[in-house]
Amino acid sequence: MLSFLAMQLPEGFTPNLHLMIPEFIVAGTALGAILPELLLPAGRRAAATAWTSLAGLAIAFVVVVAMGPSDAMALHMKDGAFDVTGWKADSFSVFCRALTAIGGVFLVLMSIPYTRRMDRGHGEFYALLLFALLGVMLVAGVSDLLSMFVCLELVTIMAYILAALRRNDMQSTEAGLKYLVIGAVSTAILLLGIGLVYGAVGNLSFAGLEEYLLKPENAEYPAILVMGIAFVLIGLFFKIGGVPFHVWIPDVYQGAPSPATAFLITASKFAGVILLLRFGEAALLPALKTVDAFSWVILLGVVSVITLLFGVLGAIPQRSIKRLLAYSSIGHAGYILMAIAAVATEGGSGAQKGTSALLYYMMAYFATSITAFAVIITVSAAAKSHGHEAYTGLARRAPFLAVAMALSLFSLAGVPPMAGFFGKFLILQSVVDKGLYVLAFVGAGAVIVSLYFYMLWIKEMYIRKPEEGVTYPSIHVPGVTRFVLWAGMIAMLALGVWMGPFYEWVHEAATSIAAVGT
Amino acid sequence: MNPLLLCLLAPAAATIALFFIDENAKKAIRAISTVATGLSLAMALLMFIGFGDYTYEHAATAEAFTANAGAADEHVYKYGIAVDWVEELGLSFRLGVDGMGLAMVLLTAFIIFCGVMVSYGIKTRVKEYYICLLALVTGVFGVFASLDLFFYYFFYELAVIPMFLLIGVWGSTTKTVDQNYATMKLVLLLSAGAVFALIGLIAVYGEAGTFNMVALEEHGFSSSFQMIWFPVVFLGFAALVPMWPLHSWSPAGHAAAPAAVSMLHAGVLMKLGAFGILRIACTYFPQAADTYLPYVGILCCFNIIYGGLVAVAQRDMKLIIGYSSSSHMGYVLLGVASASLIGINGAVFLMFAHGIMTALAFALIGWFYDQTHTRMLDDLGGMMKVMPFAGTMFVIASMASAGLPGFANFVSELMVIIGAWDARNVLWFGVPAILAVWGLVITGVYLLRAVKDAWFGELPERWKNLKDQRTFAERTPYVILTGVLLIFGFWPQPMLNVVHQGVEPLVKRLDAGREANERGTRNARLERIDEPATQGALTDGEGR
Repeated sequence: MLSFLAMQLPEGFTPNLHLMIPEFIVAGTALGAILPELLLPAGRRAAATAWTSLAGLAIAFVVVVAMGPSDAMALHMKDGAFDVTGWKADSFSVFCRALTAIGGVFLVLMSIPYTRRMDRGHGEFYALLLFALLGVMLVAGVSDLLSMFVCLELVTIMAYILAALRRNDMQSTEAGLKYLVIGAVSTAILLLGIGLVYGAVGNLSFAGLEEYLLKPENAEYPAILVMGIAFVLIGLFFKIGGVPFHVWIPDVYQGAPSPATAFLITASKFAGVILLLRFGEAALLPALKTVDAFSWVILLGVVSVITLLFGVLGAIPQRSIKRLLAYSSIGHAGYILMAIAAVATEGGSGAQKGTSALLYYMMAYFATSITAFAVIITVSAAAKSHGHEAYTGLARRAPFLAVAMALSLFSLAGVPPMAGFFGKFLILQSVVDKGLYVLAFVGAGAVIVSLYFYMLWIKEMYIRKPEEGVTYPSIHVPGVTRFVLWAGMIAMLALGVWMGPFYEWVHEAATSIAAVGT
Repeated sequence: MNPLLLCLLAPAAATIALFFIDENAKKAIRAISTVATGLSLAMALLMFIGFGDYTYEHAATAEAFTANAGAADEHVYKYGIAVDWVEELGLSFRLGVDGMGLAMVLLTAFIIFCGVMVSYGIKTRVKEYYICLLALVTGVFGVFASLDLFFYYFFYELAVIPMFLLIGVWGSTTKTVDQNYATMKLVLLLSAGAVFALIGLIAVYGEAGTFNMVALEEHGFSSSFQMIWFPVVFLGFAALVPMWPLHSWSPAGHAAAPAAVSMLHAGVLMKLGAFGILRIACTYFPQAADTYLPYVGILCCFNIIYGGLVAVAQRDMKLIIGYSSSSHMGYVLLGVASASLIGINGAVFLMFAHGIMTALAFALIGWFYDQTHTRMLDDLGGMMKVMPFAGTMFVIASMASAGLPGFANFVSELMVIIGAWDARNVLWFGVPAILAVWGLVITGVYLLRAVKDAWFGELPERWKNLKDQRTFAERTPYVILTGVLLIFGFWPQPMLNVVHQGVEPLVKRLDAGREANERGTRNARLERIDEPATQGALTDGEGR
């Protein structure tokens, strides 16, 4: 049967579909997660869909790790010696998919208490979440502009619906609508950029783009190519929330259901980061080697500084925890762009350092955000609010939640011994390594500002006493949440103290991607 | 097991253990904290006693340590231990102390042990209190013991953050200080200093390609690199010293903190900054140090005189001691700035002596503040009648602070002043030395007045029932601290020997840096003399 198929294949095409087994598992689970909705009585749907999704993601994680990296590409199309397209399974891709899958496991776990309270739509929720995670996993391996676009849209379109999932809720509907409108604009810009690049290069693959940029006779780039690259970058800035393309973030993150926000803040942002690295390695580094493409570093540097300052300053007056984390995620996008700027700069000890710093940072960010959102979901279940008053004196009322939240805020602020500290340290180090001292000092200053507003919340939880005369609802911490919180806290501490093995992984992943560019 | 590692791990392990203990088991919590810090103190004393005859063969990992160090066969760090942590970055967990580090470890061990005992009076949220306190002290031990730049910073920041909760939750708001304001200011300013220094440390790493502090000492940075990065690293640490004009976090922080935290804060935390200046800024950048340190000599006069005069104006006992601390850290900076053997020896010894003295004073203020809920001199008076033990201790602490012979402070301040007077030239350092002597007079003014107003004179009716320290457990911490002050005051040699071992190589480096600078200036001058000659020759040639 398979051999029959192979005969029909066009010349130079090798499917190598076995490389994508984990993705098939996730896709299959996503379809399967809808089934309980049809078959089971209402009371048992939530648990059945949740555990199905959980099992699928966990198996996918195990399979990704067990299969390990491979030099072959799936859906590989060759024209002579030239790679037209293909889906990579190098260590970078393996690392990103593994992180997405394990992050997905915890996203599902923390969503269980939340979905238990929903009266309908369990199947949709988990199916959408799984498809979105599938999109992120697929993004990890892309090697041409068109599949990049398709995979990214898979993530984004799922996220539109996830944001608007509570359709009777004004804020959620508003979030979905805003996200859709602005997302559509960014998609259009991205697509335009892809079109311009294709028009200039005559080729959609990253390899082709890189080859074009490296050719000495192409030293004078046509304006449409520069514009094209800029538009693709802008499209990706939208995804990770770089200023001035951040406008959707606060409202969407606040209005979307909390598990959906957790997804947006971690996995969805991760998709943007992966693509910035993949695209950046092809388009930004080689460009640098030929002509004065230092302007890309200036573009990235300026955007990162503005993003950072906007994020940390905007977070100061926030009195809703979700909105605070939204602004803080803009701030984090600033650090991400800072690392990309380091990757795109020549000199120092190569591009790997920035790449591995960024991957470590994202790993830390996953652990931290998931812990924080597990607390947010639990507190808001009791208090029906995300405001600061729900957190007043939390250390007396729910010490375990307060510890988890405090540790994740410290980790977001970048305080040792938490994960976020080592991530920020690596990024600052990669930036200094390339001689971008201005960025380093701005980044360091932003740490102090962010410490201020995170500590305002620590103060709310630890130093302020519960108001007298106010009756606080008792907070119940479900067993699943307890597990997520323990795992999150251990992960944050491990990533912050016992960095050796984790850094080895990101280093390997970063080396595999840098080998393409250099 | 390596005593230095044990010294660091004991409070760290206790911090984690306390998380799992029921918060109502207050006795168990106190016992664990006391045992852990007692163990640290025992280890520190053990190291101190055995320091002279300790050789590498004693350490199990000595071989790995020297092999990784890549330095000469023999270096000044003892009790070394090294574990590879992140190989790709060349980052390793590396501990070891020289004489300076050991003096500071011993100081920390004394203060935290007494601090834990003094904190038995804390009644609310005991568990969280001790978790924060022990986490803080883990950070402090880590800084003094680290020989890896990454972990140095890691512990440095770890020592700052718990302060926020310690002051915010258990501190006190009075007429003079608001605790929320003080704690936020303290943490933000200290972190700002730390992060500022971090950029410098990363730049050092970028230049030398290693985090290993032993190898970095031998690296020899180019003089232009030194000139740029010395100020960055120095100012980052100077914020913690606190050098004028970066001092404003410190008196407010002292005043708002609970007793044990003030003790640690003034006794140890400020020393982290001075230690960083000596261990990193001066050691790695000796040439730049030669250029910049004279200016530090001027700034520290502001510390000494201005800090002292502000202390004279205070009526809040804690603020008096707080400003007095920043005044005395001026002497430490003066000793550092003199860049002479006797001056730096004196500075390190003063760090030790001042730490013990100020811890004693804060502990005593905490003792009566718990009962009176006021520290204002105008409200107090005649307390010697009801608490003679505490009063005597306070007088001893004040005398030590004012530099009375017989106390370690006298010895060390004298050394600093002699060092400054002897230093390179009279113009730069003679004036600060003279001012420093007058600083001692100012110290006498505010301390004697505090003693007079608070402890002698009329005892107001409402303070008739104040309690003195009566039981053995209550008196122990005070007796320990006073004993240390007196022992090292009458017999400073053992401590000076230890300190000297660490200071000597540093001073050699600083001298080498000065010589290199002088050579540089001489060469530049020679070049300038040469230049016109060559030009003349060229003109001649054209003329011909």
